[in-house]
Amino acid sequence: MLSVFARNLRTLGCRGIYQSYHINNYATSTEASFETQPYKLHKLDEGPSTNVTVTRDDALTYYRQMQMIRRMETVAGNLYKSKIIRGFCHLYSGQEAICVGMEASINKKDAVITAYRAHGWTYIRGVSLVGVLAELTGKQSGCAQGKGGSMHMYNENFYGGNGIVGAQVPLGAGIAFALKYQKTDNICITLYGDGAANQGQLFEAYNMAKLWNLPCIFVCENNGYAMGTSLDRSSASTQYFSRGDYVPGVQVDGMDVLAVKECTRFCKDFVLKNGPILIEASTYRYSGHSMSDPGTSYRTREEVQEVRERRDPISKFKERIISANLATPEEIKKIDVEVRKEVDEATEVAKTDRELPLEELYNKIYSNPEPDYQVRGCDPTIMAASH
Amino acid sequence: MASSIFKVGQACRLLFKSKATQAPNLWKIVTLSERQIQTSSKWMGVTQLLMPSLSPTMEEGNIIAWHKKEGDKINPGDVLCDIQTDKAVVSMDTEEEGILAKILIPDNAKEIKVGVLIGLVVDEGDDWQNVEIPADAPSSSSPEKTSSQSSSASTQPDSVSSTTTPQKSNFMGPSVKKLLEEYGVKAAEVPHTGPHGALVKSDVITYVESKKIPRVQFDVTAPSVDTASSISSQPVVSELPALDDEPYIDIPHTSMRKTIAKRLTESKASVPHSYASINCRVSSVNQLRKRLVEQGVKVSMNDFIIKAVGLALQRVPRLNSTWKDGSAHISQTVDISVAVATDNGLITPIVKHAASLEVDEISSTVKELAGRARLGKLQLHEFQGGSFSISNLGMFGIKEFTAVINPPQTAIMAVGTSRIIIGPDGSPTPEMTVTLSYDSRVVDEIDASEFLEMFASIIESPEMMVQKSLSQARGFF
Repeated sequence: MLSVFARNLRTLGCRGIYQSYHINNYATSTEASFETQPYKLHKLDEGPSTNVTVTRDDALTYYRQMQMIRRMETVAGNLYKSKIIRGFCHLYSGQEAICVGMEASINKKDAVITAYRAHGWTYIRGVSLVGVLAELTGKQSGCAQGKGGSMHMYNENFYGGNGIVGAQVPLGAGIAFALKYQKTDNICITLYGDGAANQGQLFEAYNMAKLWNLPCIFVCENNGYAMGTSLDRSSASTQYFSRGDYVPGVQVDGMDVLAVKECTRFCKDFVLKNGPILIEASTYRYSGHSMSDPGTSYRTREEVQEVRERRDPISKFKERIISANLATPEEIKKIDVEVRKEVDEATEVAKTDRELPLEELYNKIYSNPEPDYQVRGCDPTIMAASH
Repeated sequence: MASSIFKVGQACRLLFKSKATQAPNLWKIVTLSERQIQTSSKWMGVTQLLMPSLSPTMEEGNIIAWHKKEGDKINPGDVLCDIQTDKAVVSMDTEEEGILAKILIPDNAKEIKVGVLIGLVVDEGDDWQNVEIPADAPSSSSPEKTSSQSSSASTQPDSVSSTTTPQKSNFMGPSVKKLLEEYGVKAAEVPHTGPHGALVKSDVITYVESKKIPRVQFDVTAPSVDTASSISSQPVVSELPALDDEPYIDIPHTSMRKTIAKRLTESKASVPHSYASINCRVSSVNQLRKRLVEQGVKVSMNDFIIKAVGLALQRVPRLNSTWKDGSAHISQTVDISVAVATDNGLITPIVKHAASLEVDEISSTVKELAGRARLGKLQLHEFQGGSFSISNLGMFGIKEFTAVINPPQTAIMAVGTSRIIIGPDGSPTPEMTVTLSYDSRVVDEIDASEFLEMFASIIESPEMMVQKSLSQARGFF
């Protein structure tokens, strides 16, 4: 047993992973603790704990969820390149630990609103694989019946993908306002990227959120590049967690699902008591900003490969849980196979499902419209009934 | 590399054969692989690589080169091959992990439609050499296939295609028919990828290239030439000798060349050019020049021409003008642009106040400007502006020519060489032809005639040009 322990430690040492852990006296543990990277704090006396405990079941769930999102995004990329998905498409590959870790610390009554890199969040907020993939292919089993596409996916307490850069942030503050106004114990997670972080409307939202102490966690998913510009070229301060000024902030390793989970738990407690907080989750995106960006003109392939090797949220987590005896390589392999199968089956549906009939075109614009409510088409002479 | 393709090819044929003998299984296998094609996803550990659309408008592309070989391990983020889209060469990378088992479309393949199967990936540890190639995939090259295996190769795809793609359209364009004829290929052998199952040209080309089918030699009976029997026995196809080098040389476009091209095109396209010529007898001016040279005053014929043009412009000011914003502007000063050849092209330094300068002053000004022009050291104001241009090719023996107006100027005078003619008195006398190109929006025929007449009379009576200092100081006239 000791020798196994020593070997594990050695493997970890040579892989340079920063962690320590204790294991139970079983070949497969039911629980393990991990050390996270230190957090950086802004106007906080105390931050989240750097020691995170996770159960075997939870660890396998997180692994499966991250792998599912990765595989789903891979398929989405392939479908796009086969012209089966058209229009906008922004992939989440590389950033999976953020949505999985955050979802693990909130409940379904907490609200989430994000920008247009929304597929992973849509899935984690309860939309099925078919719901996401069929939405991408524009089919009726999509979560918005194929009417929305990549940028416009919604679910209960998930206020979507939003197509306008940064516009979801004031909306998120508004959702938090509603949650407070209705005297719930719920919070709103409002996400944006490092590109949107320079928008004026964010600072207006910070101001109102702080003024009224709204239960809002502003999350900057910092993947290093805004469209085609590195953050050093676009931002006077790249310490995004500190840019709320009077809003406290914390920086977390967005490639570590457990750190994100612990950080979110801490922040949820914090905002319910003290009003808004800002999380900067340092992450990386493997694909281009969108499908029209090969993602190699402003960064080197070597840089991307290095992140894949050293910081990948999935393979790093896999190594950790195997080393900690939370799971065996065979169990992990089994999950990988199941994930592939599930995604393939969902892909099949997304490709073969029917499109919504044309009569549905004008429906579901407003909730519960008047019985004879009519909307105008692009041609002002065309009026159509809308239900 | 080639041998491995061959091996895989053989293995595939063996697979096919064994399936063909088990007739009941064939249907099942075919339908399964058809399904696999539709999903383009993993089936029994095989992932299909399809030709990707790497630009929003890409319909087809060329595979420039594969970065991975068959049997290579691939990791997420690896570049598989470079693909030329309709816009640029873009790397195709993958999110898959495994072994690149088969490359179905080789390097330098042209016009591959989006969605065409280009390769297969298997899981690590799988037997990548025996991967099954889907029935309607474009087969890779194996030279022997045509002869001994042709019977099985031709019957197999037929039976398969009848089950997999039942609606193969018979429609094809005349160019496709011609191609099929040229290579002796039957339409049924070639995979149809066009709309509604039509056979398109690129199908045939891809098929022919992949199978290395040679072009059919048609019997062309040579026209009967009785005398040269040795020639008529040869095939009549005559080919141009192949050039080792590029058949042309690119001259890099300098910014000066660009400006010249732009301005001349603009001028010739937008300025209504008219032309008028006049012959001038230049015996007197030649004599005067000789006398001055003897006195040590080195002036050229060109200097006299500049002076004469300056004086003529003073008397016919309508030609001393520019056309700007739809109207003519008569210049107050006579500034003459003189075309000077440099290595990069023509440039026109300006002799300012040409009418009031003495000939020797003009001479030294032109020498100085031309020297700096050839060194490329003219300043902007020294060659931009001017109210009239002179282009002189007399020194090259050009008899006469026409020049393109230098906008916004409204006229340019092209000067030919002086040549000996029989004069009115029967004696040989030198004569020079000048041709005026003028902008008919500003200058009409009468103005042009007046100017040319004036110029001729001045150049024929050169004493009008040297009145003041030169004549007084040196005691002429």
